[in-house]
Amino acid sequence: MKKTLPKYYPLIPVFAAYLIMFLIGFFVPGMWQMVALLAFYCALGQSWNIFMGMTGYVDFGYVTFIALGTYGMSLGITYCSQYEWLGIGIIVIGFILAMFLASLSALLEAFIALRLRGAYFAIACIGINEGLRYFIEGAKIWGGSEGLIYFGALVQALGRDTVNQLTSFWADFSVFIIAALAAFLNMHYMRSKIGYALTAVREDEDAAKVMGINANKYKTIAFLTSGWLGAGVGAMAWGLKLGYVYPGDVFVIHYTVECIVVVLLGGAGTLLGPVVGGLIYGLSKYWLAVIMPGFQLLIFAPIIIIIIVAAPEGVVGLLKRRLKGTRLEMFIE
Amino acid sequence: MALLKLENITKRFGGLVAVDKVSLEINEGELIGIVGPNGSGKTTLFNVISGVYTPEEGKVIFDGKDITRLPAYKRAPLGLGRTFQIPRPFSSASVRENVAIGAMFGTLADKVTVDDSLEIADRYIDLVGLEAHRDKASGDLTPVEKKLMEIARALAMRPKLLLMDEAMAGMNPKDIDDMVKFIKRIKEEEKIAIISMVEHIMRAVVGLAERVMVMNQGAKLVDAKTEEALADPRVIEVYLGQPTEQSKWRSEVWKEGKGEDE
Ligand SMILES: Nc1ncnc2c1ncn2[C@@H]1O[C@H](COP(=O)(O)OP(=O)(O)O)[C@@H](O)[C@H]1O
Ligand SMILES: [Mg+2]
Repeated sequence: MKKTLPKYYPLIPVFAAYLIMFLIGFFVPGMWQMVALLAFYCALGQSWNIFMGMTGYVDFGYVTFIALGTYGMSLGITYCSQYEWLGIGIIVIGFILAMFLASLSALLEAFIALRLRGAYFAIACIGINEGLRYFIEGAKIWGGSEGLIYFGALVQALGRDTVNQLTSFWADFSVFIIAALAAFLNMHYMRSKIGYALTAVREDEDAAKVMGINANKYKTIAFLTSGWLGAGVGAMAWGLKLGYVYPGDVFVIHYTVECIVVVLLGGAGTLLGPVVGGLIYGLSKYWLAVIMPGFQLLIFAPIIIIIIVAAPEGVVGLLKRRLKGTRLEMFIE
Repeated sequence: MALLKLENITKRFGGLVAVDKVSLEINEGELIGIVGPNGSGKTTLFNVISGVYTPEEGKVIFDGKDITRLPAYKRAPLGLGRTFQIPRPFSSASVRENVAIGAMFGTLADKVTVDDSLEIADRYIDLVGLEAHRDKASGDLTPVEKKLMEIARALAMRPKLLLMDEAMAGMNPKDIDDMVKFIKRIKEEEKIAIISMVEHIMRAVVGLAERVMVMNQGAKLVDAKTEEALADPRVIEVYLGQPTEQSKWRSEVWKEGKGEDE
């Protein structure tokens, strides 16, 4: 009669998927790059989904977090690599800077979200993204439009072998970790007071306030978490792995659109959705690029539109409905 | 000391004075009724007490504390719970989750975990008799069930004062009698003060509260013992319109049937 939800079961399929991906990449020769790309999409989808799934805000400017994360890492390495004694610590500094910049931007977006809703919020976030890009280029800070190129400095500070290991393994590995962390936090929030509070706020914000819920506080928590995770992906998968950053490369709305597509394919607001979506999206993009280089978008766009129209709840949404009432139900969220 | 003290509350919407210099005191554990025709400012007064609106003039003192300008979300933990005239369930969440949300962020906010709150929720779901619907999405409940769920949700907040906005609207006479009994019972069992507001179901008011405040056009008309208040010529006139329409008034005021939802 009284049932308490099994707490973290829905994480099992998510973690299993990440583990299998990792093992394939690690042990099957030549697979690592593809698996890393898939993890990248899964991690971004999962991070963006926390924002959207929990608050209901569709953040079209999400790439700002990824870009600022990249810049945080770039700045850390660029300006600290001269201090030899810091050693690998420059990566830590870069990561902390990434989190710091993401926090500022998350707080700014939260500030806007508390005032604007729906499309206005989306447009404001795109505005922040474009504004930041042109500010960096125009004011010539952080290398301006020339960007920062620090691969050489990194090699000089840490040595070629270490850097090779960092860029070819650890950068990608940390994306896996961030993806898993994002799933865990999402699940943990859903099962804690934060999740209940945000459900109430999403359904009826004024009633939620009268029930004692500090709506702004909980929204801000979700924004910050989502922003930190996105910045973490940027710092590692772009900042550390590539060794350079141009504003025109990173503040690109296209990447937000990819996040949204990943989440919609898999199932918005679900836990497993971003994993499934990331796999479908990443694999088909990879595959189409191999068999029809140059034409992938032409074929891809209509396929995505068809899938999203045919299954608006996404693959996991469909699955959830299928499994309702069965024993597998508690594993899918 | 009064639990809630309203001093000369005035709330305007543009040129319209929705609440006009209303003062009211209610003690701990007291049950009072507020009646008044549609548009007389009852819901607005509730909104001022619970923090949805800030009044242009006057003070709201709760438990010795001036909360006139306190944000709504800081009032619930002090012990203010309420239901809404038009039920506002968190529709996608189950009944159990809705009621648990009350427990989580009410006066026990700092003391209870999610699991504790779910347990508390079960208790109040049983109390209002919704145990068959525990895991149903609250949006799928009937209007009357939604009202009951809101009461459970507000009680799970463990308030000192419960504001009930039209708890009996849309109910048939038997349900109204049950609800009256139920409200009196929770007042005793939970040891809380209750302000129950009713538009024109006099049957409910008479049985419910010993004391009633009658409002008209935003102002307090009478605040007295229930029988006295309802016999007051000014109150009769409000419900009656013109004294010559005595018969019409009777059928209106003593109507046992439905209240109106806005
Ligand atoms: N948000 C609002 N904006 C403008 N007018 C309002 C608002 N809320 C209530 N009113 C007006 O205030 C008056 C009192 O309404 P209300 O408090 O709902 O009365 P009651 O609950 O007694 O029926 C009505 O004339 C109503 O139209
Ligand atoms: Mg009303």
